[in-house]
Amino acid sequence: MQPLAPVLAPTVRPRRAQWFRALERDRTTVLAGILVALIVPDSLILPAVLPYRYNQQSLDHTFEGPSRQHWLGTDQYGRDLLTRLAQGGRISLVVGVVTVLAEVLLGGLLGGIAGYAGGTLDEWLMRLTDMMLAFPALLLALLLAAILGPGALTVIVALTLAGWPAMARTVRGEVLSLKEREFVVAARAQGAGAARILLRHLLRNTVHLIVVRATLDIGPIILTEATLSFLGLGVQRPMPSWGVLIADSFQYLQSAPALAIVPCIALSVTILALNFVGEGAAEAMDPGVAKAS
Amino acid sequence: MIRFAARRLGFMLLILVVSSVVVFVVGRLAPGDPVQLLMGDLRDPATEARLRKDLGLDLPLWAQYLHFAGRALRGDLGQSYANPGRSINRMIADAVPPTARLALATVTLAILLGIPLGVYSAVARASTGDFLARLVALGGMSLPSFVVAVLLIRWLALGWHVAPVSGWGEARHFLLPVLVLLVQPLAYITRVTRAGVLRVLPEDYVRTARSKGLSPWRVLSRHVLPNAAISVLTIVGLAFSYALTGAFVVETIFRIPGLGQAAIGALFSRDYPMVQAVGLLYAAVFIAINFLVDLGYAVLDPRIRYR
Repeated sequence: MQPLAPVLAPTVRPRRAQWFRALERDRTTVLAGILVALIVPDSLILPAVLPYRYNQQSLDHTFEGPSRQHWLGTDQYGRDLLTRLAQGGRISLVVGVVTVLAEVLLGGLLGGIAGYAGGTLDEWLMRLTDMMLAFPALLLALLLAAILGPGALTVIVALTLAGWPAMARTVRGEVLSLKEREFVVAARAQGAGAARILLRHLLRNTVHLIVVRATLDIGPIILTEATLSFLGLGVQRPMPSWGVLIADSFQYLQSAPALAIVPCIALSVTILALNFVGEGAAEAMDPGVAKAS
Repeated sequence: MIRFAARRLGFMLLILVVSSVVVFVVGRLAPGDPVQLLMGDLRDPATEARLRKDLGLDLPLWAQYLHFAGRALRGDLGQSYANPGRSINRMIADAVPPTARLALATVTLAILLGIPLGVYSAVARASTGDFLARLVALGGMSLPSFVVAVLLIRWLALGWHVAPVSGWGEARHFLLPVLVLLVQPLAYITRVTRAGVLRVLPEDYVRTARSKGLSPWRVLSRHVLPNAAISVLTIVGLAFSYALTGAFVVETIFRIPGLGQAAIGALFSRDYPMVQAVGLLYAAVFIAINFLVDLGYAVLDPRIRYR
């Protein structure tokens, strides 16, 4: 049973304690969270700790199997696979995080403005999101790559352009319902300006939604980045991203399958774990979503 | 209904115009001068001036756009830079069938497998079967298509010789690309169908239908599925988008002479008219899909028409 308190403080989202309890029940999410917690620091720390550089070649030691010197073996140029894997992870994660931040800024702000301003501005911004949602990220990236040339920047810009509309719609919907609430009226009565109300009162109260949306987005973003890098449109050699690693080892699939399969596993496990965490966060935040998915 | 359709059609045309401007801008902003690209090592000011005039590059930008749009509307997409003497029309016409065939096969299979799987998963909620179906759904969304391709090639093609590694033209070349393309649409259709059915199941009218003594099958087919259909419809449109964008990766990996490979190839050989043509074609197809999905909504749910 719900306590009676909500009469005074009507709130849709569960309290923090409830949120943690919901998370606790959801073992898969916790497990996925632990996985993410293992992968992320590895990618950040390993390239600095390991005795090799990601582009350090050693042509006497190509295609070596796992050994004490090279835990995962070496690739076609004798580069240490573990080092390259960790460096690749670092790049994928950085691109993913930067994209999500850009998406949060752009989508959050535009969505907030649309919801708060209403009227014609709202209508046109929503039309714009309608328009953008019709185009898959890959197509945008392809066209952008024609202008900017392939590279990490192209990936970030393309994925931000593809990702902000969904974020904007989420934020707009919430702002639309929040702006009629008493605390906003109170703030306005005290003479707060539009920018202050939007930033301090409205957007601050949509942070939980933004966080959930961002967590849900990061898995697919890393997936698309890997795909673009695999195609040669994303991160450029000799910088390894997981997509690049897989593309480069593709031709050795017969003779040295581990070179392709190890990054495949790293990439898939990371995305799967991130997706599980995203879903878990969304469910814990809003049990209604849990029923629907 | 007609008013709704007309309004959506108007919006659709607007997006199409915007996309054509974007695609045009891509062609203009892309590095390199088309005349230089076409002439190669040839240094002849007269030819250069003539080419520039033929391509309309001496006109102001807005006139160039109108020129571009007018030609595109008449179905003339220009000449390829990378393959002198070949028209883009010809290249597109050659590349459409493989991509279209793969996409159709993929979406058909995804619907035939995904909808039953999703319905089953929802009805048998929390069973082992449901768990497996959800694993398919979330796993399918988390596996990049090229990873699936690597694994399938490693085991099905190189390991067990079930299918060839790459190539096009025979029926056996179909298997691996379709399997790879299938993963994401199947995952999404399963997932959305499950969610749609789960949302409808607790409704009052479903309980009423059950308590009238209708058979479970009849409850499902007459009362649950029609109401869950609207969420599935979106995803069928999305499934097409996935199959078409998946073509970029799958056709590159399996060396299939379709639109995806053509676009990626054109990008690397700086054949911008081809990139523009594929971009425009894809945009038109995506816009048309969205339009059809919107119409489908209005047919399935009368409330949407009057919004």
